[in-house]
Amino acid sequence: MGGEIKITINSEQDWKDIVHRCFRCGYCKFTQNFSDFNCPSYRKFKFETYSTGGRMWLIYGIINGEIQWNSGIANVLYACSTCGNCIENCRFDKFNDFLVDFIEAARVEAVNNGFCPEKQKVLLERTENREMFNPYGEINSNNEELKSKYNLPDNAEWVYFIGCTSNYRQKNLRDATLNFLKKAKIDFTLIDEHCCCSPIIRTGQTKPVKDFMNYNLAQIKNTGAMKVITSCAGCYRTLKKDWSKFETDLGIEIFHTIELVKKLLDEEKIKFKSEYNKKVTYHDPCHLGRHMGVYEIPREVLKQIPGVELVEMKRNRENAWCCGAGGGVKIGYPEWAVEISGERLEEAKQTGASEITSVCPFCRTNLSDANQKYSMNFEIIDIIEIFDKLDYEIVD
Amino acid sequence: MNKENVFEQLEHIVGKDFVSNREEDLYIYSQDPGASLPRHVDFVVMPENVEEVQKIVKLANQEKVPVIPMGGGLTLSGLIIPVKGGIVMDMKRMNSIIEINALSKYALIEAGVTTGQLLSFLNENYPNLQPPVPDAPPSATIAGNVLIHGSGYLSQKYGNHGAMINGLEVVLPNGDICKMGSCAVSKYWFARGPIPDLIGLFISSFGTMGIVTKLSVQLFDKPKFREVVFGLLNDPNDIPNILLKITETGLAEDVLIGMQDKPDWMKGYVFIIAYVTGESQEEIDSHIKIFKRIYRKAKARYMKTAERIRKVYLEKPIFAAAAADYRKGGGFEYVGANMPLENLPEAYKKGAEISKRYGIVPTLGSRLIGGTHNIVMFFSYSFNRADPKDMENAREALHETNKLALELGGIPWKAELSGQQLILKKMDPNYKKLFNTIRSILDPNHIMNPGNWEVK
Ligand SMILES: Cc1cc2nc3c(=O)[nH]c(=O)nc-3n(C[C@H](O)[C@H](O)[C@H](O)COP(=O)(O)OP(=O)(O)OC[C@H]3O[C@@H](n4cnc5c(N)ncnc54)[C@H](O)[C@@H]3O)c2cc1C
Ligand code: SF4
Ligand code: SF4
Repeated sequence: MGGEIKITINSEQDWKDIVHRCFRCGYCKFTQNFSDFNCPSYRKFKFETYSTGGRMWLIYGIINGEIQWNSGIANVLYACSTCGNCIENCRFDKFNDFLVDFIEAARVEAVNNGFCPEKQKVLLERTENREMFNPYGEINSNNEELKSKYNLPDNAEWVYFIGCTSNYRQKNLRDATLNFLKKAKIDFTLIDEHCCCSPIIRTGQTKPVKDFMNYNLAQIKNTGAMKVITSCAGCYRTLKKDWSKFETDLGIEIFHTIELVKKLLDEEKIKFKSEYNKKVTYHDPCHLGRHMGVYEIPREVLKQIPGVELVEMKRNRENAWCCGAGGGVKIGYPEWAVEISGERLEEAKQTGASEITSVCPFCRTNLSDANQKYSMNFEIIDIIEIFDKLDYEIVD
Repeated sequence: MNKENVFEQLEHIVGKDFVSNREEDLYIYSQDPGASLPRHVDFVVMPENVEEVQKIVKLANQEKVPVIPMGGGLTLSGLIIPVKGGIVMDMKRMNSIIEINALSKYALIEAGVTTGQLLSFLNENYPNLQPPVPDAPPSATIAGNVLIHGSGYLSQKYGNHGAMINGLEVVLPNGDICKMGSCAVSKYWFARGPIPDLIGLFISSFGTMGIVTKLSVQLFDKPKFREVVFGLLNDPNDIPNILLKITETGLAEDVLIGMQDKPDWMKGYVFIIAYVTGESQEEIDSHIKIFKRIYRKAKARYMKTAERIRKVYLEKPIFAAAAADYRKGGGFEYVGANMPLENLPEAYKKGAEISKRYGIVPTLGSRLIGGTHNIVMFFSYSFNRADPKDMENAREALHETNKLALELGGIPWKAELSGQQLILKKMDPNYKKLFNTIRSILDPNHIMNPGNWEVK
């Protein structure tokens, strides 16, 4: 299940030794057919500085001492949603895979040099707060209430890692996932989870990550589970790709809910008894699509739901336009983040779809904010929430 | 210049978001991807329309501050890095494709339209038409390219891209907006004449004569079928003969030659890469047959290629950047010299010697421009940006190559400052005088990209 994981920088390869390979040629700015600029940051701020190449050259300028850290440079580095469009379009093999890693590594340096922007700092403060352990500033939910509501055991085969966005902002998505897992008779449970650390990793505030990971892993292992399922593209990317940078063998398998849905459909275990007669489009979350290579699974699921008419937006899959929430942009540049989603909604409008589906609570939040701001009247819905609206049966 | 005043005025003209004097922006705009050393920039500004361009130029005149128009900034020879500080005018916000005239076959576009954008727009909306585009990365602008006598895969058949300009709208250094070509008289931007042709003043003058805000470029019919025919020569002395034989057929859309020592299997050969086009596969097949025969007669071997390589060559823009990555050091520049055919073999031999002398793997190539009327020859030098000595080495090799090109009767194309001086040294004094006189009349305050083509 799932797509191919892109390479990440490892300890043998110091990013500082290769970042100057960027030629500032600018393929990374575009869609695959060059129709338009597809780097949200460059499209917005327009100065060459805000292209991926501009960032690479600034980073190299800092490394070689030609330019010193200042808040402006930090701003350029943080004004990037880590969407990965550049990774897809840069022509330099074994370099392109690292572009977002370079930006994130440079953000770590920004933090170390005292240039983490104030708004993004809040992510760390809240995550480290012993009453919160989440970037939303909510009191930590130990999930015991949910466990008893859904009658979940202490020990199970699977853990559903809810993720902070679903648990504190998109509860409907969380509940739809819980309902699905229950209905599918998955032997699962919940843990008293702390943030997966995606927001602080993406913003270069990596100091506590290992502790958080170890804590979560211990909680997971306490349940006896070997498999973790998450409904969040950000958690999925973090657990599968970032955690393994700290621990080569996590000892667990990680899945996105949509992979499980697909598997059950393939095994013909889901029998639909109602239809979902809607024209829908699908938004690729960057953290699932470009970061993890999962493009087709959600589409295949949608196509198998009776009644669904799936239409594609012009920019899709590797070419998708980012929702604008990732990489700390939602907290750092809230208005711009919504503007980026606004552009996505405009694109969705051209398809004639009435609903925008996705499989990421963070995309859902930002797309919904734009939907409201621009009075677009779309239904923004996670695929798992569609299942919640359907009558279906799981057969053994 | 009163810097604060200039900044405030620029903000007033284009709005706060589109002007910068921030250190990080100036740092990026003070360099290009070639081997030039960084040079100081005072401001970067991004106008949205011709009126804003006009106001900026008037301000620059008033404050005697240089203005440097910039498209994609990809010439590699530092032409958009100010020589005497000033305002870099990044044209990218002026990116409208105003009109495609499918009958007279031209595109009327603003100066910031990229080659990628126009190519993709035509592919989607006018699949039978193709624009002149270079092998440069897609963020190169059409304007930047045609204004430097650019060339591309249509050049063998139709000439250099400068010749494909039908008309220009230009903001002159005094702020006047001037239309040139048929658009000066007619509402159609369909032709360059027949009126006194002043458009040439703006080509290869590197922004010293004014700022082009709109332009009409010719579009060409896209052949239904296109194929690449590879050939191998052993001896560079045989290059002129095979090129003559190829062009005699009138069948080639584009002809490239390459000679390079890496990868190893390429060493010791001259590669001939000819593109043939046709209305049907049968036509293509018959053209390939003709080319095989020509190759044989001209001491070349026809080379069958792997599908992967064929594809790379058919999708040229992707191929271009790869050459820049040979050294994995982020640095690349080439001398592109326009050469007469007779001295091409010598250029290959001596070019390879220069490369070796500077410890650079010889990577030479050329493209026909309008048959054998003109050949643009590339002497490529990739270098490691992280090693100042390596960059210096590349600069020296480039300079020596410029000298070689001039010695062999050629002219360095889009030459960097030192190359321009070499050309000026050899230039007919009265041509220089005429150029300078026109320049001084148009731009008495020398605000337009000063330092370039500077007659000393
Ligand atoms: C890998 C690679 C391959 C290349 N291959 C080719 C090739 O095959 N053929 C080819 O022709 N070139 C090639 N080039 C060279 C160059 O990139 C292109 O010619 C390119 O099109 C230049 O356009 P630009 O927008 O980058 O121009 P810029 O570099 O921005 O500008 C070029 C010159 O024109 C001036 N200028 C720009 N816009 C205006 C304006 N609006 N008004 C007045 N003056 C203006 C600038 O001041 C400058 O002097 C290649 C470059 C690279 C990096
Ligand atoms: S990141 Fe890649 S595509 Fe972008 S400018 Fe650098 S080398 Fe070119
Ligand atoms: S990750 Fe996205 S926003 Fe960031 S530089 Fe790359 S393309 Fe631009």
